[in-house]
Amino acid sequence: MLPIVLLSVFGIVVLFLGFSKSKNILLPATLLFLLVTLIANFVDWNHQYLYFNDMLWGNNASMVFSGIVLLSAFFVVALTRGFEQEGEAAQPAEYYGIMLFSLVGAIMMISYENLIILFVGVEILSVSIYILTGSDKRNLRSNEAALKYFLMGAFATGIMLFGMALMYGATGSFVISDISEIIGTRAWNEQSQLLYAGLLMLLVGLLFKVSAAPFHFWTPDVYDGAPTIFTAYMSTIVKTAGFAALYRLLAGSLASLQDYWFATLATITVLTLLAGNVTAVYQTSFKRMLAYSSISHAGYLLIALTSLTAKSQSSILFYSLAYSLSTVSAFGVLILVSQQQASNNYDAFNGLAKKNPFLAFVLAVSMLSLAGIPLTAGFMGKLFVFTDAAQKGTIWLLVVAILASAIGIYYYFRVLIAAYFKEGDLATIRIAPFYKVVLIIVTTLTIVLGLFPDLVLQLV
Amino acid sequence: MEKMHLPSDFLPIFIQLGLALGFIITTMLVTHSIGPKRNSKLKDEAFECGIPAEGDARTPISVKYFLIAILFVLFDVEVIFMYPWAVNFKSLGWAGFVEMLLFMGLLLAGFYYVIRKGVLKWE
Repeated sequence: MLPIVLLSVFGIVVLFLGFSKSKNILLPATLLFLLVTLIANFVDWNHQYLYFNDMLWGNNASMVFSGIVLLSAFFVVALTRGFEQEGEAAQPAEYYGIMLFSLVGAIMMISYENLIILFVGVEILSVSIYILTGSDKRNLRSNEAALKYFLMGAFATGIMLFGMALMYGATGSFVISDISEIIGTRAWNEQSQLLYAGLLMLLVGLLFKVSAAPFHFWTPDVYDGAPTIFTAYMSTIVKTAGFAALYRLLAGSLASLQDYWFATLATITVLTLLAGNVTAVYQTSFKRMLAYSSISHAGYLLIALTSLTAKSQSSILFYSLAYSLSTVSAFGVLILVSQQQASNNYDAFNGLAKKNPFLAFVLAVSMLSLAGIPLTAGFMGKLFVFTDAAQKGTIWLLVVAILASAIGIYYYFRVLIAAYFKEGDLATIRIAPFYKVVLIIVTTLTIVLGLFPDLVLQLV
Repeated sequence: MEKMHLPSDFLPIFIQLGLALGFIITTMLVTHSIGPKRNSKLKDEAFECGIPAEGDARTPISVKYFLIAILFVLFDVEVIFMYPWAVNFKSLGWAGFVEMLLFMGLLLAGFYYVIRKGVLKWE
């Protein structure tokens, strides 16, 4: 609970700091606030807690999930460079404030015990992201993205809320441990039909937020239209929080019905893997490719969720961390390159390695990790997820996933070929020292976690 | 579930609904059938009084109006929270008082922010 309170207060403080003459204080202040919250997040380590009239629940796993979200937020905020490049229309204090507020929603989604809290968390996170998506106010694409995201997101939230109401009708409770108990007393064919309808609608709403197919159509346009820094923000934080919420729902209250929802989720998993990976191949824009890559990674995470073995939680946790780290560094490089070249296309990366070997290396590690090549965190993440599927015995799902990651190697390597083997006239890009430090830390973490995954796994 | 609601419990609501609908339908039918009909160009216009309608309704409107409207809703909702609190003031005790102080504090912080941002300046 402490991080939620802290983030809310810090958000307001940042808004007021915006009135001070010097805007330079905003970035260090926000980073400091995030660091404090990150430490406060682990205060309850090794304790289970229930807060707010038993509506919020937490244990080590939820704290580690919150930790991942806060850490990725820290990295993304560190890459903003105070929004100084955004010009007169930029409102840096508001952006930082909204980012801090949105984390409140993410943490609520991770540690909810009551479905109402899940709804409130989803809304806090989504509304913040709608605003950030449209923050490039003079850009038509950004406006279009925000409107699209808002309209579709509002519908998805509505469907989710309807699902919650039906689940309440079926079980008489919003508390997920109570729902689990009530479901446990009946066989699967004795359950109320309302429960199944409710579960389906609740899943639709949450799967929309993590952009699983067939609810993924908003993703490329929104990721493409939003300012790159906020694309990085939403592709890491929304994904992690969304999967933590899905896991909590399915494992915490509906595990006994796995036979029922397995077919549905497995179908969605296969669709997501195929839609994400196959469409990503045809992209010419690196930023758009990353949007489809985010869809395909939702597919891999869904494999762990569908299998729901004892190890699923740690696999989801590790995979989200690996994915977040590589995504942050990929977008970090993209921001620098696209500023220099005024383009997000693969061509913009031509000849990157010649004069910017450091950036090319960061990009290489991040792409290798996203593609799941050994010695990177992404490989370990995929390994754990695939092990879950093997344990559940769904070999056909495994085959689809391995084929999908084979396709993935093709489009992730395209940018590396452009960076290392193509001729280009990219000049040396000046990197701010702090920016460089962040890229170094993220890249190091990606490699270290690939070599010693136990560092994170033994936490849960 | 301890409390069960039978369909018959909803009977008063349906009676109310029927009465409301019946009143509207009856008055509409009766006025149409027994009222005198005098049509003219002026009478068929959307508004009979005031200045004549002009232009399209879909014109850009200054964002200030929306901000004022949203602020109005905010303070409206605040009062909704305050009424039940005031009614239960004694039973809620000091904890309730502190919670309301916190709520008001957050709200006023937002209000101060709005004023400093110049949302209420109309020039």
